[in-house]
Amino acid sequence: MLGVFICQCGTNISATVDTGAVAAAAAGMRGVAHAESIQYTCSDPGQAAIGAAVREKRLDRIVIAACSPRMHEATFRRALERAGLNPYMMEMVNIREQCSWIHADTGEATMKAVDLVRKAVARIRAHVPLQGGKTAAVRRALVIGGGIAGIRAALDISAAGIPVTLVEKSPSIGGNMARLDKTFPTLDCSSCILTPLMVEIKQHDHIELMTNAEVDDVRGLVGDFQIDIRRRSTCVDEEKCTGCMICQEKCPAPAPDDFNAGLCQSKAISVAFPQAVPLVASLRKQYCRRFNGGKCRLCQKLCPAGAVDYGQEDEVVSRSFGAVVAATGYGHYDWTGSYPTFGKGLYPDVITSAQYERLLSASGPTGGLIRRPSDGAEPRQVAFVSCVGSRDESAGRPQCCSVGCMYTAKQAILTKEHIPDSQSYIFYIDMRAGGKNYEEFVRRAQTRYGAIFIRGRVGRIFPRRGKLVVMGTDTLAGDQVEIEADLVVLAAGLTAAPGAGELARKLNIACDETGFMAEEHPKLRPVEAAAAGVFLAGACQGPKDIPATVAQAGAAAAKVIGLLSRGELETSPMVSAVNPSRCAGCFKCRDVCPFGAIDKDRLADGLVTARVIESLCRGCGICNAACPPGAISLNGYTDKQLLAELVEVLR
Amino acid sequence: MEELIPIIKKALEQVDVVLGWAQSPAAGVAVPAFFHTPAEADAAVFDSTCAHNLAVYLPRLADKKVGIVAKGCDARSIAQLIAEGAVKRSGVFVIGASCPGMIDVKKAWRCFGFGKQVCDAAGKVAMEGKTVAREEILLWKCRGCRDPEPVICDVTVGEASSEAPAPPAEPAGIRKRFAAMTVAERRQFWQDQFSRCIRCYACREACPLCVCRDVCTIQAHEPGWAGAAVDSPQSWMAQLIRVNHLAGRCTGCEECERACPVGIPLMLLLEEQNDVVEELFGYRAGGEAKPPFLTFDIKNDTWDEER
Repeated sequence: MLGVFICQCGTNISATVDTGAVAAAAAGMRGVAHAESIQYTCSDPGQAAIGAAVREKRLDRIVIAACSPRMHEATFRRALERAGLNPYMMEMVNIREQCSWIHADTGEATMKAVDLVRKAVARIRAHVPLQGGKTAAVRRALVIGGGIAGIRAALDISAAGIPVTLVEKSPSIGGNMARLDKTFPTLDCSSCILTPLMVEIKQHDHIELMTNAEVDDVRGLVGDFQIDIRRRSTCVDEEKCTGCMICQEKCPAPAPDDFNAGLCQSKAISVAFPQAVPLVASLRKQYCRRFNGGKCRLCQKLCPAGAVDYGQEDEVVSRSFGAVVAATGYGHYDWTGSYPTFGKGLYPDVITSAQYERLLSASGPTGGLIRRPSDGAEPRQVAFVSCVGSRDESAGRPQCCSVGCMYTAKQAILTKEHIPDSQSYIFYIDMRAGGKNYEEFVRRAQTRYGAIFIRGRVGRIFPRRGKLVVMGTDTLAGDQVEIEADLVVLAAGLTAAPGAGELARKLNIACDETGFMAEEHPKLRPVEAAAAGVFLAGACQGPKDIPATVAQAGAAAAKVIGLLSRGELETSPMVSAVNPSRCAGCFKCRDVCPFGAIDKDRLADGLVTARVIESLCRGCGICNAACPPGAISLNGYTDKQLLAELVEVLR
Repeated sequence: MEELIPIIKKALEQVDVVLGWAQSPAAGVAVPAFFHTPAEADAAVFDSTCAHNLAVYLPRLADKKVGIVAKGCDARSIAQLIAEGAVKRSGVFVIGASCPGMIDVKKAWRCFGFGKQVCDAAGKVAMEGKTVAREEILLWKCRGCRDPEPVICDVTVGEASSEAPAPPAEPAGIRKRFAAMTVAERRQFWQDQFSRCIRCYACREACPLCVCRDVCTIQAHEPGWAGAAVDSPQSWMAQLIRVNHLAGRCTGCEECERACPVGIPLMLLLEEQNDVVEELFGYRAGGEAKPPFLTFDIKNDTWDEER
């Protein structure tokens, strides 16, 4: 006995589809005992109506024509369960996104809706009850990325007693926040609020910290991910190194200083920065003399702890995790290619705001004194250019970096505090100061710190008599402006972190068109990634400031705790299953399976057939297509069901 | 080809059985034979009637070590079976036979009468005064043979590469007629052809790559992709499923068409499909290249169009 429910979705569907007519047509289809149109099927009364019809007419399977299953499939499964039916005896038809919203003509849209319902009715006749299994969830979480998002998520998860492994690509945790001087809008010292958290990570009993490490391979799925973590060789024994930095002092090989945004040089063997956690040196082989044909062994000779080991090799650690938090942060947009009129990076005194942040910082290359890179002079006139590689269609980057306005205002304030007789000019498009106390902060930069805000884009930057001329428009005055500045700071946009796309592929989650990792639903599932058990924290999901990052990290942690505190997880029954009496043992399924979910099974009579490892199967269905005798099929998507559907469409 | 017998005898020292041919006294042509002992091997022959693709027996002998006399085209089937994991390379000992091209025994019988000894002198097939040009009764696949030498073999027998018969300048016979047909005519053509199909599945049984055998999907009841009735549309559908399952796997050995008792020109379908696969993917089954289907890597989202 089959029930069909046509949702009106207020007027979302009923404005274009005559839901009453669809219900009437459904009532005449084979096997249909009940058909009705409901205003909001997902609402409480809507779900109650389904329950009532199931009881009254003894329905055993349901077709619901409403919105996308991505929206409410889980809702209706629960409704069926409450009504006493197997939750998988339900088929959803999308007559909203795939019908009412994309058609204008009521007659045609109604006809299409009837066709879609007929297809589902045919299909559900071949449905069989499915039972999800239960698997024990591994009580350990992996956090990828040791910036403020990863740190906060790791601390929050471990606070619930769940062990955490924190993997960080670089030699120290801290991420981009560790590079900042002060934070808006309170002007807290960034290190002062971050460093204690970094130390807490290191000292926490439940947190295992792996630096210089990256995710190599991901297998399995929610509840039991098997993840290989590659710990890159640093030629330094982390246990022995005390962080005394003698090696760094004596090392003769220069290497770029990543922490100081390339403003100065570091050494081939170095400690990332003085507050690094863990405070150990690491050697970058590409810059080391010994690894480039030289004979130098200075660091090994001089190390008082005997921690330097040139023979150290990469180590791959395999672990099981119940859930994963991606917190890979952001990268900086390389403006030099798209803005040739800004000098292509050839003028040393045109720097990015990330570099300026290091000039402001007491732990930076200048010890917190603002000195311009070209001649070390103290700048008097500083020009800030907002939205470089943000909100700029011509550079192919329409997105807002969401923090540029605020940190530019902050840097203007700090400039005035460092050099009281300096003058800041800020070229902006709009000041976006939507957060709590943000507008007041920007106002303060203007009024108390005398920063001059010029609304308009900058067209050109060029040197003239030891200064840099910044030419732009002032759209409020309707005039051209020319500022002679000693230093120009570009607020370069934010991009996805380098390597984020590759990680997303390994985790089987999606990235949006700007390269940031995509959340499952922008409003209702903002920290869940497309793959179950993978959560997003911080700027890996999109540019955001520290308060929003910390809030999202907390939310991701709460999701992980909620998932793993149940102890066991219900597995989806929508996995492939082999009918051994039909299997020819050709193993084409195993050849094509991207997840290694097919194994050999020897039956009692000696026949060798394929077997699905359900915990690894993700229900993609590739094996179904490859199987010549049709012995392997996806539960809920069997050939019989698809054929029934096809025949109905083609009828 | 007398040197074949000692080679088989030698091979029997290291394999359980050698697949080859012996003369059939009744039909006057060679038929497949399994040689288990050196004494049995004395009956081995290799002539222009050894058309059978013996690779068809290999998957079901996968637990034995098997020697097999293989023509160039048969070797492609063996290579494909190895690539698909149905046969282990270490489990087969391939005796590569240099092939002069095989004749269509049915055509020969039509000329000379059934059961007559069909002897093949170079160039001509002569018998009791009648003479036919060899090209006239060669199997279609042998004209313009692309693989006179086996792609894999452990030992060879016979003179290397007698010149392969030249490919016909243009399709002849049924192929010529088919190429000239309109789409509607082709539909009618296939309907007529498959109206003769008796669903004996000889095509499937003769095909070395139809490894499913008894569990074949075209005999399955759920779902019944192709009904079991002996009627044209259902038989046609069944054959199209078989052809589809051979996409990128068919080595063009022509055994299905040779085995068909009602003479349906099945190779018209398979040749077309093989051409499409080769054109699209630059891939011929039975070679060393990895099948295109298996080059898909879920973790790599850039598809190399050039490949």
